[in-house]
This record gives sequence, C-alpha cells and structure tokens, in this order.
Amino acid sequence: MNLMANILIQVIIAFLAGSLLLGLHRKIMARVQRRPGPPIIQHLLHSLKFFFKETGFPKTVSKPFYIGITFILALIWVVGVIAGPVAHDSLLILFGVYAVYKIVEHNSGSSSGSPYGKLSCVRAVLSAATELPLFAAIVFVYLVTGTMNIGEIITYQSVHGPLIYTIPLAALMFFMLIITKSPYSPFAITKDKALISGFETEHYGLLRGFMHFSESIAWYVMLWVFLTIFFGPLNAVGYLIGMIVITFITGFINATTPIFSPNHSVMTQITIGAICFFGTIVMIFTGVVA
Amino acid sequence: MLDYMIYIIAFVVGSILGLLYSYKQHGEAFVAVTDFNTVAAIISIVGWVLAFNAGNVILSGIGFLLAGFIMGERPGYGRKESAVGLIIAIVVYFLMHWTV
Repeated sequence: MNLMANILIQVIIAFLAGSLLLGLHRKIMARVQRRPGPPIIQHLLHSLKFFFKETGFPKTVSKPFYIGITFILALIWVVGVIAGPVAHDSLLILFGVYAVYKIVEHNSGSSSGSPYGKLSCVRAVLSAATELPLFAAIVFVYLVTGTMNIGEIITYQSVHGPLIYTIPLAALMFFMLIITKSPYSPFAITKDKALISGFETEHYGLLRGFMHFSESIAWYVMLWVFLTIFFGPLNAVGYLIGMIVITFITGFINATTPIFSPNHSVMTQITIGAICFFGTIVMIFTGVVA
Repeated sequence: MLDYMIYIIAFVVGSILGLLYSYKQHGEAFVAVTDFNTVAAIISIVGWVLAFNAGNVILSGIGFLLAGFIMGERPGYGRKESAVGLIIAIVVYFLMHWTV
C-alpha cells in the first residue's frame, strides 16, 4: 500500500480507536464508582464538537506558542503513529516523542499566562519522573534483544517468546507510564482538578480539539507500543483485546485511587522505577534473564 | 489496514446513530432499564455475528454498524442485548473455526 495512504489510515484508526478506548476508560471508572457514566462514544463526540466551537484567545496568552503548541502536540503523536504502527521503527524515536510531549505540556501551560496553566507547567517538569522508568525499560529491552528496532524486537519475540516473561519488571515500569498518562490517574499531577484542566485550561475550540485528537492518538500509541514490545507478535484481535484489558485495569486503578500530591507522585514513581530497575539488573546478572 | 478502518468507522457511525435514536425514543432522566428488548437483541446478534464471521469487508462493516447501533444506545439501554449478541457471535466463531 502507498505509504501516505497507510499513514492516513493508521492515524484515523489511532484517533478513532484511542477515542473509543478513552470513552471506555471513563465508562469503567463511572461503573466502578456506581454512576451510569457517559456513552463510550462520548470522548469522540467531545473531540469532534471542539473542532466546531468558537476559538477564543485570552489576553494573557503568548499567541505564537499558544497556537503553535497544539499543532506541535498533534504532529508529534502523528510521528508516534508513523514510527510505531506504520514503520515499526526505532524505540528511540518514540522516546523522543515522549520527551517532546513533555516540553509541549510545559509550554502549553506557560504560554497561556493563566496561573493554573503555569502551575501545571511547573508540575510537568516534576513529572519527568515518569519518563525515566520509560527510558530504563527501553534500555532493558535493548540489552535483552540487542536492538531498538520495533520490527526486530517483534521478530526476536516470535523466536524467544514474549519479553513480558523475560523482563517483567521492565514491563511494569512501562505500565507505570501508561497509568500516569491515563485520564484521572493518581500520578496525573499536571491535570489535577485543583488546576482546573491543568495545561489545557486556557485552550478552547479548535485548539482544544487538536489536544483531544492528540490525547486519543497518544493513548492508542502507548498501548500499541507496550503490547508490541512486551507481548510479541500480535494480530489485530490480540491488539484489540490487549488494549481493552489495559484500559479496564487503568480504569479500575484510577477509579479507586485519589490523585497524589506532586511530591508523593514523584517519589512513588521513582521508588517503583528504582525497584524495577535494580530488580531487572539483578535478574540479568544472576542469569534469570537469558 | 483499510478493512479495519472501515470496521471502526462503521462501528462509530452505528454508535452515533444508536445514541441519537435512543435519545429520541427515551427522553426521560436516567433509569436503569431491566427489560429485555427482543428486537434490539436480534439486531445485536445479527450485527455481532456478521461482524465476526462474515469474512467479507462489506458484510462485516454492516455487522459492526448494527452492533454499534445497539451498543451505542444511551446509558441504561442496550447493555444486555449487546452482551447476548457478543456472546453468541463468539460462540458461532468458535463453532465455525473448531478443528479437532
């Protein structure tokens, strides 16, 4: 298939599937909390609605950043789709996507001029603790498989079995990232409701639509990468079941866990990351990991 | 991947139509419906069975549209019917692919 057509199709799938999964996530949280919850399609409808709403610009914004940042956000997750599901390229590109996402989160908050956005921007720096375990997990995948290329990691797993059995603690570190990035997460200190919507607070209309679009794609890409690098070659049904199961698990966790204060959030992430990091090193040096 | 895109678009369109239809039918405040809607169940069964077992993009697409129509109904409606349709479709799938 033509590369551009493939990219377009994969981006549409990522957006729609990600939106439905985030809608499911919200539904699960509601059911756990004994509320009826919105329809599963609601997140998608919200995203589409924002594209047709009037776009306002607060007086305090730094316009070039305020506008540009939303398009950059959408663009980096499209790059995530291209590097992951389309090209099966290097994990380092995806790590780069996460790193830029952190910068975008930071600038989105600061460019708004809102005190809520600015506080969220400061917290975005603190929550870089999320990306450290991700980098460690990628390093362990490299140590075991000898490659950063997603296609080659899939081939490795088709011969040696899924990496979740070999380096489960590295998978746990990656799973921490998924929990952190899920809506209403205990670690989502940048979107704490005390900050209204955090770095997104002052973005309305079309710009907010792009943010929702990016969130949906981000959720899909994160789940896709996790399933691909730890659960080996999967077919479409395998991906679908895996994504739904992870969405269920994060939904249960987020519905039953209050948000941490920033220092507790960072310390918990670093502690779990450190335990998993040294645990995996011990496993490698004691020969548990072949 | 084009077929998966068609399936997911069909499911989304079905869900939106189902939501609009059920809000038109039931405008009242939320009630946890305990009744079993036989017509909706038949649509759901046909939809899910076609979606999983048709082996044809167009028929599967229509299946996902019908399945989405029932599953996408407003909260409180279409839950049991969707569950029945999904279970029957999975059973049919295993029966058709069962090899001893």
